[in-house]
Amino acid sequence: MSREPAGEVILEVQGLRKRWPDGRVVLDGIDLTVTGADVFVLLGPNGCGKSTFLRCLNRLEDYQEGRVLLRGEPVSCGWPAGHMPSRQEQAAVARLRQRVGMVFQQLNLFPHVDVLANVMMGPLHVLRKPRAQAQEIALAALRKVGLEERAADRPGSLSGGQQQRVAIARAIAMAPELILFDEPTSALDPLLVREVFQVIRELASDGMTMLLVTHDLDFARDVADRILFMDAGRIALSGPPDQIFASDHPLVRRFTGG
Amino acid sequence: MLAGGSSDRMRRVPRSRSGRWPLATALLVALLACGAQQPPPAPDDAAAWAPVATIPPRAAAGTSLRRIQDEGVLRWGVDPAGGAPFAMPDPRDPRRLVGFEIELVDRLAQHLGVRSEPVPGDWLALIDNLKAGRTDLALNGLEVGAARAEVVDFTVPYYRYGQQLTIRAADRERYGSLADLAGRRVSVLNGSASVEVLLAAGWPEERIAQYDDSLAPYVELENGRVDGSLAESIIAGYYAAGIPGLYSLPETFSPGEYAGALRKGEPELRAAIDAALARMKQDGELGRIYQRWGVWSEQQAEIGIARGPEVAKLALASPGADAGLDWGLVLRELAVATGATILLTAISMPLAVLFGLGLALMDRSRRPWLAWPAKIYTQVVRGTPLLVQIFLVYYTLPVLGEAIGLGKALVWPAFAVGILCLAGNYAAYEAEIHRAGLDAVPRGQREAALSLGMTPGQSLRLVELPQSFRIILPPIVNDLVAMIKDTSLVYVIGVRELTAVALGIGKARLIVPQLLVAAAAFYLAVSLVADRIGKRVEARLRRGGTPKAGLEPGRLH
Repeated sequence: MSREPAGEVILEVQGLRKRWPDGRVVLDGIDLTVTGADVFVLLGPNGCGKSTFLRCLNRLEDYQEGRVLLRGEPVSCGWPAGHMPSRQEQAAVARLRQRVGMVFQQLNLFPHVDVLANVMMGPLHVLRKPRAQAQEIALAALRKVGLEERAADRPGSLSGGQQQRVAIARAIAMAPELILFDEPTSALDPLLVREVFQVIRELASDGMTMLLVTHDLDFARDVADRILFMDAGRIALSGPPDQIFASDHPLVRRFTGG
Repeated sequence: MLAGGSSDRMRRVPRSRSGRWPLATALLVALLACGAQQPPPAPDDAAAWAPVATIPPRAAAGTSLRRIQDEGVLRWGVDPAGGAPFAMPDPRDPRRLVGFEIELVDRLAQHLGVRSEPVPGDWLALIDNLKAGRTDLALNGLEVGAARAEVVDFTVPYYRYGQQLTIRAADRERYGSLADLAGRRVSVLNGSASVEVLLAAGWPEERIAQYDDSLAPYVELENGRVDGSLAESIIAGYYAAGIPGLYSLPETFSPGEYAGALRKGEPELRAAIDAALARMKQDGELGRIYQRWGVWSEQQAEIGIARGPEVAKLALASPGADAGLDWGLVLRELAVATGATILLTAISMPLAVLFGLGLALMDRSRRPWLAWPAKIYTQVVRGTPLLVQIFLVYYTLPVLGEAIGLGKALVWPAFAVGILCLAGNYAAYEAEIHRAGLDAVPRGQREAALSLGMTPGQSLRLVELPQSFRIILPPIVNDLVAMIKDTSLVYVIGVRELTAVALGIGKARLIVPQLLVAAAAFYLAVSLVADRIGKRVEARLRRGGTPKAGLEPGRLH
């Protein structure tokens, strides 16, 4: 997997603002710099905009102001509401998504094809690798998450935790520069959470750059290089986990129940 | 019953249309509205006896005679469904047409040095087909009248008919004339001259029961829903005579004439046909044909027809039940017609599903210039009867094309029009099914596909449609079965499918019920097979076993 020299700037977000169609501001000017091989964890109360922010980063949601740079290269910028992206803009968004993986709370595996096909889909159809090579990539990704032997099964026959691991394999098969995790364990049975965290931990130790939204404080403390606290559409607080959890910032106290 | 040979009898063409009379009326309105002129209404029916694709390249007005002679074929419009004894499928070989008009035009064509090719079509639209250039002559019990004369040129008349009243034999003592029936309900063929006769005699419209077929008025009389039935005498002589318990008064009245119809501005063709007809009238050739078919009457002399030497009436000229009917052959014909039905469905349904998908995608588009046409198309097509659409495309579109300077570009063969209409009509329904199916695929599927960097098109093709298809297969199979039955509607434009063939044979021999039961059995068999196949495919998809080829990356095993 891509291993970044620590400290290199991977993702830069500048002044990102988003309003819902009804005019409500959901993201109120977010600035963020994600450095290579680091794990950034986004925490915050429900409705503070964490997931929306994540989805803006690979443009599953539109935003109106600000811009996003990947390794210093501007890859997307705010569009006025109702903007119809041109062909070039659409292509740019697709390229951005190739470089930024995403793992969803709702798993979102493709139920109509088997596990291997799920993981091959990106390399084969997006990266346009030859079939044999795409299959090799997919099997390697499955091996990474410990599910190589389930390659021929349908996603439906796997447990939730296994499915989420396949989804992670699907993301890493694209060799992304960054993976976004949108509450990857919130929809899982508590017993299955551990195996998913374990995979994420391994990716972290491999040096994968990740931006993670979670509600699991223990996991955040354990895996994060940096914690970002969001509140009301802004990043209210950020820093290394020890420092954040030791802080007596009211937001943190409220959140940690301390 | 039965009008003896001495009165003039005649009716013209039978029109029939089995099941959908009300629609036929709607059509009428549509046709009249769109096509402007049009002769007094009359209904319809059709069957298909001619390879559908024979559309002559149209020549300029005035040159039709030369073209006919060059090609050696006289194409003429006739409606053989329920058309006995004018023109009907030969009960011994339903692929052939027989009848006194068939013989008449065969001989007429010989006089012109060409062969005759009947082009079947709905009676109502004979003149549309003439104007569209699908035929060069319409000859099928068309009554000479002022309204019709405004849109076509008539040949010299070839038959003199009168109105004939039929009652139940049991009422013989009560009703001796039309006047005796005053205040009673009387049945007639929709749009026939009989309607005008009754109106002129002071019948209120609600006491005139109109049917779109020659046989139905007599069946109603037999059943006691009406007390009398008025029709041109050939019809009474054939259809009423075939029903025991009915009695046709021998006197005929309100005479009129049948003549062939030609496009206006064809003086050479008209002169040639008139000359041939005049010869046939004088030398007894026509009289002999009329005797053979049992339609001779002394009144024919009034329009210059010589009786000719005495000849015996053909067995075919009476609805002698199924004398001579070869059921093996009939069933074989029904099987062949079932093939046409299957072919229509097999081509139209996949087109409908594809076209429907296009409509659904347009409809879902954020771009209004894509979404609106799809919405409008779907609403209009779903909001109008398929039968009307078929009529409009087959009969009205050519007239429209001509009017806007496209010449004959919009004159398409019946089979193609059938497919176009079935596919176009069902597409509107399939579009809704696709829409529902695509909506049923969770949003996250598209997001997951897009987040891999797929284009929206790839997401649709690789992720959403394969899933949607599994969801919508049952309703699509349902529509497939429905379409098998709806193909019967294209018989109105002369496609020789199952219903057309069954009605054609059934009406000619007054054995419609038997033929309809047989046709129903064929439809049922095809539907059951289609349903079976659909269920199998569904089960297979449910088992998840079959990634569709090309839709999915490779598999491990």
